[in-house]
Amino acid sequence: MSADSNTQVMDRSLPQEENGPVPVWLIILGFILVYVGLVYFDEYGGWFHEQVYAPYRSYEQVLTWQPMPAGDDLTPLGKLVYNKPTCVTCHQADGNGTPGQFPPLASSDWVNEAEPGRLIRIVLNGLTGPITVNGKSFNSTMVPWKDQLSDKDVAAVITYVRQNKAWGNKAGAVKPEQVAKIRAALKDRAQAFTPDELLKISPAE
Amino acid sequence: MNYGPLIFLAAFFALATSWFGMVLTPHAQVGHLQPTNTVPDGLTYPVGRAGLARQGLDVYRANGCEYCHSQQVRQTGMVCDVLLTDAGTNQPAVIQKLLKLVPEASEASLKEKLASLPQPIKEHIGRSEAEALVKALAVGDVKAELWVVPVGPDISRGWGRRRTVAEDFLYDYPYMPGSQRVGPDLADVGARLPDVSWQLRHLYAPTVDVKGSPMPPYRYLFAKQKSEHGGSPEALTNLGDHAPPTGYEIVPRAEAKALVAYLLSLRANEALFDAPFTVPSAPATNAAPGTATNAAPVTATNAPAPAK
Amino acid sequence: MAEVSSFAEIDAYSRVPLLVLLVSAAVWLFIGSAFAFIASLKFHMPGFLADCSFLTYGRVRPAFTNSFLYGFCVQGGLGVAIWLFIRLGRNCIVQPGLLTLGASLWNLGLTAGVIGILSGDSTGFETLEIPGYASLMLFVAYAVIGVLGLLSLHQRVERGLYVSLWFIVAAVFWFPWIYSTAQLLLLKFPVRGVTQAVIAWWYANNLQMVWLGLVGLGLAFYFAPKLANRQLPSHYLAMFAFWTLILFATWGGIPNSAPVPAWLPALSTAGTVLLLIPIIAVSLSFWPVLGKLGPDASTPLRFIRVGVLLFVLAELLQVVSSLLPVSQVTDLTWFVPGRSLLFSYGFFAMILFGAIYSIMPTLFAGERLCPHLARAHYWLALGGIVLGLLPLTFGGIIQGLQIRHAGVPFMDVVKTQLMVIRISTLGDLCFLAGHGVFLVNVVALVQRFYKAKAATVFADATAEIKPVELRP
Repeated sequence: MSADSNTQVMDRSLPQEENGPVPVWLIILGFILVYVGLVYFDEYGGWFHEQVYAPYRSYEQVLTWQPMPAGDDLTPLGKLVYNKPTCVTCHQADGNGTPGQFPPLASSDWVNEAEPGRLIRIVLNGLTGPITVNGKSFNSTMVPWKDQLSDKDVAAVITYVRQNKAWGNKAGAVKPEQVAKIRAALKDRAQAFTPDELLKISPAE
Repeated sequence: MNYGPLIFLAAFFALATSWFGMVLTPHAQVGHLQPTNTVPDGLTYPVGRAGLARQGLDVYRANGCEYCHSQQVRQTGMVCDVLLTDAGTNQPAVIQKLLKLVPEASEASLKEKLASLPQPIKEHIGRSEAEALVKALAVGDVKAELWVVPVGPDISRGWGRRRTVAEDFLYDYPYMPGSQRVGPDLADVGARLPDVSWQLRHLYAPTVDVKGSPMPPYRYLFAKQKSEHGGSPEALTNLGDHAPPTGYEIVPRAEAKALVAYLLSLRANEALFDAPFTVPSAPATNAAPGTATNAAPVTATNAPAPAK
Repeated sequence: MAEVSSFAEIDAYSRVPLLVLLVSAAVWLFIGSAFAFIASLKFHMPGFLADCSFLTYGRVRPAFTNSFLYGFCVQGGLGVAIWLFIRLGRNCIVQPGLLTLGASLWNLGLTAGVIGILSGDSTGFETLEIPGYASLMLFVAYAVIGVLGLLSLHQRVERGLYVSLWFIVAAVFWFPWIYSTAQLLLLKFPVRGVTQAVIAWWYANNLQMVWLGLVGLGLAFYFAPKLANRQLPSHYLAMFAFWTLILFATWGGIPNSAPVPAWLPALSTAGTVLLLIPIIAVSLSFWPVLGKLGPDASTPLRFIRVGVLLFVLAELLQVVSSLLPVSQVTDLTWFVPGRSLLFSYGFFAMILFGAIYSIMPTLFAGERLCPHLARAHYWLALGGIVLGLLPLTFGGIIQGLQIRHAGVPFMDVVKTQLMVIRISTLGDLCFLAGHGVFLVNVVALVQRFYKAKAATVFADATAEIKPVELRP
């Protein structure tokens, strides 16, 4: 080795290493940090949704913060109610439901009736028994929503579904007053409707 | 067993997972982004930049404007404003109710507000408080609205009315977000400083309008020529100390005009689904002058003028 | 090249390509510093050279970053890496002539690229500003250099892989992947909208933090124990640092301010926070080696020590500034380039200086670098970091805090920043001087060596012809 301490010439032997272990606490810290990272991503990551930007934390939150127009258009509120998640869980985000179980709302003959009376009854009190929608049969139970949703919410979500052009629905809107009227008429009824019962009631009522 | 190839593969995958996560997945998602609609009008957004503005984007790139200016408006939270839009027929009763709900307001100021509706009753409050206030107010024919207002330091400075999102830059190539704010953020500069002559003057001699600005003068984007036939309509005016000698004028070259067209096309002020806010249809609210309002439309005069 | 009898032969055989790589790196470093100094001056005299479109700030700034990153960091890193391959493998470079050609092509491409940037052909993507016609040359040159380097490694005599080689080989393979991805998805078949920025940030992070980090650590793991004459405490700890670094470091880079869906910056932050593990592993590895050095440490060792220290500091700053509340202050301020340069210069360049100072005397046997110039360079570099980079980092934090208060007019924020940049310009002057000293030192050594060689050859050629005795 050269005596010149500033620009010494390199020693030519291969480097040696000792064989100490990796500290266990470092590995444990690693796992803790992985957990912290996962929790952080769960909180702030919006779960990969492409429409969730910071500071919003989830798609539902973005929906909640949509400005509601002051006028009578209930569609934004209806979309929020649909995705809360209330309807979206069974009827899906594209409105196609699940074959055999949950009927589709997209391009559905039940949805596109001229008057919404049957739909309002279904949403308020629920539905059980086999139902035929668009020629296909579905059999499941729909829970009643009359205790969770206000008249405005029910009117909004049915309006949203009936007027959803992307789903091929072109029916008329629903007003909260219509819902209130039917809710009053059904005030003593607790059980769900069956499709046969509904088919006997005219939708205009 | 030869571990070499195995180790190579393991190392490669360790490195390449980020390629899957940061290149492939974003490309599959944001890389196939489609134009969206504004909320609530449902107009297509974004509209592509006009031809001259598109050329200006190139000038922006070639001169490296992104090294001093960013185009990213940030948002740190969301709050609500409650506005009274219609006081109905029984005004004194409304005032009494408001005095109960908003103790800090005085009767005189409330009477003033009721004379020039719509007016904000309470600003920058939480969601549940706002909803309760609207529910309490909107009885009978009294109408109240809840406005969604994004907040953040950039928004308070008037650099944008909402945060920038991917759709704002859908058609831009190259997209230059910038990473520095030596100068103010430019994402919404088209709405904030729409005066063409101001922009041209600022490019030629920044210190005329912004004293002490470190922005370099881009004189090579302009040409000095003899003023003939009464002077060109494009000549720069109000140049102060930087004015050319008499008989001469400064006119912008094509690059300067394109760059200004690009700057004027930079807007981030439409409400979108991913960046919602209530678009005020009413004129500016009566917030005290000097405070930065978030709900009022930003005009050239009452902007907090971060560049000045 | 079959059997090699001595290191001297290896060094002699490999001299020319490594010379091209290392001396060009020193030249580009000086050129880059000159650009940086000009850019810095423009803040105090905005009209300085403003009428020359070639030298406007927006073009000089990327010229600096590209000259520094590709001209000095990548090229110098490759040079020392190849030296390390042959030194640890005890064999010669494969095809030194071709390697020289590759190095020359790299320099040609970079020259074309920097001139392109100055004439307005910049691509607009940060750290990727070199236009397509030049980046193709860079890619081909890298391929040549990389392949030849890996072939040399493949033909090594000493088969064991020292830990440094893991780091460096990973880096050598990683660069073509990130560079080709970035070039293809940004220049050839551009992706849409903000995806361009995502890929650009991913590339910038992978170049500046991962590639420089891997090569820098690889060099540090070799030179630090050698120069300090101590042993690394643990082979396993070094390998642990390697695996955790490549697993986590590639995820960073997306700032929290970006107009992209929230999951991207969240993923980046989660990955960056996990970098604490390799940081700790590296600190534990180097503390026994560099922790207790005497005042008579050689200049190369001092460079390495500062480099490793700033690795830990710059990485910690990156971890902290990726957290959401902190990034709301530090994003889009001078903190970002300050921290980035603390890593690429304060860590990587310093390690590279130490390495180059160590290997130049062995490559050019018989010559020494001037120790006084080397020591002057060391102090100037340190001065540059303290005066140039640390003020930027702190100034950025102040700038961020001021911007958060909307009541502070923007021009006040600018005025405060100009004061900070004034100090930083002094730092840039130190850098320029230091790199000038470095360049002079290195070139003088090469010149002395070849002069001596030329003198010998000349003397041989002009020696008197001795009569040859004929044997009967």
